[in-house]
Amino acid sequence: MSIPTDLIKRFPWLPSLKLHYSDIADKLPSEFITDIFSKSDSQQISECVFIIFKSAFNNLEDIPKMKEDNLTVYVYILLNILVYALNNKLITNRIANLYSKNVYSKMEKDNSESNLYYICLDLELRVNFYDPPIKFGNKMLKDNREKQVTNFAIYYIDYLKLASNLRDDYRKLAHNPLQNGYVYIQNRNLMRLIQEYVRNKIIIEETEDKASLKSFLEEVLKNQEFKELYEKINSIWTKRKEDFDFTFKIDITGKTDILKLYPPCVIEILKKAEEGQNLVHHERLFIVWFLLSLDYPVEKVVDVFSTLPDFDREKTIYQVAYAKKKKYVPYQCSTLQSINLCMKEKYKDKLCLEGYGSVEPSERKKLKHPLAYVRIKQYRDEKEEEYLKNKAKRVLEESQKQNE
Amino acid sequence: MNDFIYLKRLFQAYYQEKQFDFPKVSSFNLREFGLIPWEKKVFMKRHMSFDNLDNLRNYLIKDAPRHLYSSGSLYLKPDAQDMKNKEYQGCDFIIDIDVDHFYTPCKDQHDLWICRDCGEEGTGMPKICPKCKGSKFTKVSWVCDQCLDAAKNEITKLVFNFLIPDFGIDEKHLKIAFSGHRGYHLKIESEELRKLSSEERREIVDYVTGENINFEILGLNERSNIISGLLEENIGWSQKIMKKIIEVLNRPESVIETLLLDKNHFGFNSNVVTSFLKYKNDFLDLITKGERNVWAIEGFGLINWRKLLRGMVKQVGVKIDEPVSIDIHRLIRYPGSLHGKTGFKVQEIELNELDDFNPLDEFDEKLDPIVFKSKKKLTQKLEIVQNKLPISKIKGESFGPYVKGEKIEVPHHFAVFLLCKEVAKTN
Repeated sequence: MSIPTDLIKRFPWLPSLKLHYSDIADKLPSEFITDIFSKSDSQQISECVFIIFKSAFNNLEDIPKMKEDNLTVYVYILLNILVYALNNKLITNRIANLYSKNVYSKMEKDNSESNLYYICLDLELRVNFYDPPIKFGNKMLKDNREKQVTNFAIYYIDYLKLASNLRDDYRKLAHNPLQNGYVYIQNRNLMRLIQEYVRNKIIIEETEDKASLKSFLEEVLKNQEFKELYEKINSIWTKRKEDFDFTFKIDITGKTDILKLYPPCVIEILKKAEEGQNLVHHERLFIVWFLLSLDYPVEKVVDVFSTLPDFDREKTIYQVAYAKKKKYVPYQCSTLQSINLCMKEKYKDKLCLEGYGSVEPSERKKLKHPLAYVRIKQYRDEKEEEYLKNKAKRVLEESQKQNE
Repeated sequence: MNDFIYLKRLFQAYYQEKQFDFPKVSSFNLREFGLIPWEKKVFMKRHMSFDNLDNLRNYLIKDAPRHLYSSGSLYLKPDAQDMKNKEYQGCDFIIDIDVDHFYTPCKDQHDLWICRDCGEEGTGMPKICPKCKGSKFTKVSWVCDQCLDAAKNEITKLVFNFLIPDFGIDEKHLKIAFSGHRGYHLKIESEELRKLSSEERREIVDYVTGENINFEILGLNERSNIISGLLEENIGWSQKIMKKIIEVLNRPESVIETLLLDKNHFGFNSNVVTSFLKYKNDFLDLITKGERNVWAIEGFGLINWRKLLRGMVKQVGVKIDEPVSIDIHRLIRYPGSLHGKTGFKVQEIELNELDDFNPLDEFDEKLDPIVFKSKKKLTQKLEIVQNKLPISKIKGESFGPYVKGEKIEVPHHFAVFLLCKEVAKTN
C-alpha cells in the first residue's frame, strides 16, 4: 500500500521520503543547500529553520508559526544538515525533543486514524487496524462504566522497541493489554511512540571524526546564505549556552573524581543530563533525592537539570527545595530495577553485579541501595589510600635503612 | 581411584556410546561454549567454540567435563577472549526455571543446611540461622518428584498462560529441556526475539513474572473513601488476576483460610482473614456480575487489597530465574550433556511430551535422563560422607535416609548420583 505524497510532505521523517522525493534524497548536502538557497522561497525556509532552533534554545514546548506547506520537507532536511554541522549533543537533543513534540501535536490535531495507520505502515510497524474501533476493556469507577476502545494493536516486539526507553510505568508491557502477540494501544499512546521514533531519528551521535566534519563544514559553508544561517544559530547558542552549563562536577569530599563513587544508575542519569537528553519523571525524582541525600546544596542539584530541554530554573529550585524539606529517600535497587533505571548490566558494574563483603562469591551480600554503593566505594577508596600511604612509607623506610 | 576420575571415565564412556545421538543446537558454530572440568581447582573455562558437532563429540569423549554449556547468543567470533571482540549477532530468549529459586514444601523435608558460623543443621530454606542468626550456610539441595513437578508446573504455566496466548509465540520456536537437576530451560529461537536488548527482555520478564505490577495502573484506586478494583474483562494482567481471585474464592472455605494465612502466599493475620471470609460471597458476587465496581470489605483498605492482589500475582506469575533471561551473555547447559552434580542427562522434551515427562522415573527410554541405570542391576558399595541424607526416590525405588559413616550398597545409577553430589565416596 503506497503512502499518500501529501502525508510525506507533512511528515518528512517518514522512510518513504526517499522514494517520493528521490530528486532531493539523492543529492549531496552541499548540492541540496545550493539548490535550496537558489529558490525564491529560500528566505522562508531559512526563517523557519531558525525559529525551530530559537524555540529549542528558549525551552518552548512547541514551534510557533510552524506552517505546513510544500517547504516542510526542505525545512526538515536543512534542519538535519545543521544539526550534523553544529555537532553538539545539547543542541541535537533539544532539536530532537522539540521537533518530535511538534510531530505529536500535528498527529493529534490531525485526529485521523487512517493517516496514523499509513504512518505505521511506512515505519514498518506491524499493527492491526480496526475500523470501527475494537473494545479491549472497560474503565469503571463505582457504577460508571466507560468502554475502552482503540483502532490499533501493535506487535509486541515493535512496541518494546519504541516504548522501552520511555520508562513510564503505564507504558510497561505488564500494564498493557497483550493478546496473541499484539498490544492494544490507544491512538494517543501510539502517537507518543511515533514521537519517540522521530526523536531518535533526529538524534545522531556527536561525530568523533573531526577531520571529516571539518571538510564537510568547509564544503557546506561555501554557500553564503547557509553560512549566515549557521552563524546566526551559533551566535544565539553562544549567548544562551551559559544558561545550560552543566556544572555538576562539584567536589564535596575533597576528591577530584567524585563520579567514581557513584553507582551506574546515577552515572547514567548524569550522563543523559549532561548531553541534554530528556529525563523521565522517575529519573528526575531519583537524582534529586540521591544528591540531596549526599548533602548537595540545592542550587548545585538544580544545575544538573540546566541542560534539559524543559529547564525552568525557578520551578526547579522550588521543587528541589521542597524535596529537601521533605527528606525523601532515594529509590532502592529493587525499585530502580522495576522502573528500568538499574544500569548494572549495561555498565557491567562489579559491585552491583557481584555484591560485597567477601572474596567468596557465595558469601557476598547483595547491594540493596545506591547510597550503600557510595558508602562502600568510599570505604574501599580510603582503604586503598591507606594502603598506598603505608606502602610508600615502607619503601621510604627501607631505602633509608639501605642508605644507612 | 579418586571418585572424580571414576566419574569422568563414566562420562567419557557415556559420550562415546551416545556420540551419534548427541544433539546439535541451531547455529552451532556461532555459539560460545563453556565447561567446568572435574579438577577441583579449575573454574569455568569459557570462550571456546567448535566448528562442527564431530569436534565437540571428540572433545567430550576425550575430556568429558563435569558440566558443559553453550551460549544463548550467537557471535561471529565465539572464541574471542574478550566479549567486545566476539561480534555479537543476537541472543535466543532463555528462561530458566529452577526450584532453587522458589519455595516448595518438600524442601522442608529434603534440603539440608548447615550454619557456617555455629554448625547448626536443619532442613528447608532459612534466610538466617535460627540459633545464631548467621546468614552463611552450606547447603545440600536434593531432588524429589514434588519439586520437579513444581518446576514443570511453572514451565506449563509459562507456555500455556503467557507465551502462546499473550505473546502469540509459535510452538515450533520453543525448545524445552530438563536441566538435569532441579529445573527446566526454555529457549525461544526466533530471529526477532534474538534482536531484543536487555532492557526489552526485562519487560518480557516482568510480564511473565508479574513483578513490579502497579495495581493502580490496572484500575485499583480510592476516591472519596470508595475503592474501585480491577475488572475481569480487561485483557492482560487485570484479567489474569481476577480469574485467579474467582478461582481461589470458589475453593472450600478452609482451603482459602489456610492460603490467606500462609506466609509463603498471602500472610494475612487471622482477623483480616475472618473478615474477608465473612464477606467473601458478596465479593465474589460483585466481581462475577460486574455491575458495580466498589470493593468494600470490612478491614480492607488499599493496603490489604494490594496485599491480596500481590498474593494473587504470585500465584499467576511464573517463577523464573530473572537474570538468565535478561543477560545476553549467559551460557546454558548443552542439551544431551550430563549434569555433573547428578549424573543425569540434560534432556530435550517436546511440548506434547511435557505433561507425561517424569525425570526421576521416566518410562520412555528415549526421554529418560537417568542414563546410568544398569540393565544388569549392578550395585555399588559406598560410604556416606555427609552428616545426614534425606530419603530419595529414584526409578520407583526409595533409598535412605542415611547418616555419615553409613556403608551402603545401592544400584549403579543411584551411586553415580550420590558420588556426583559429593555426599558419598566409593568404599
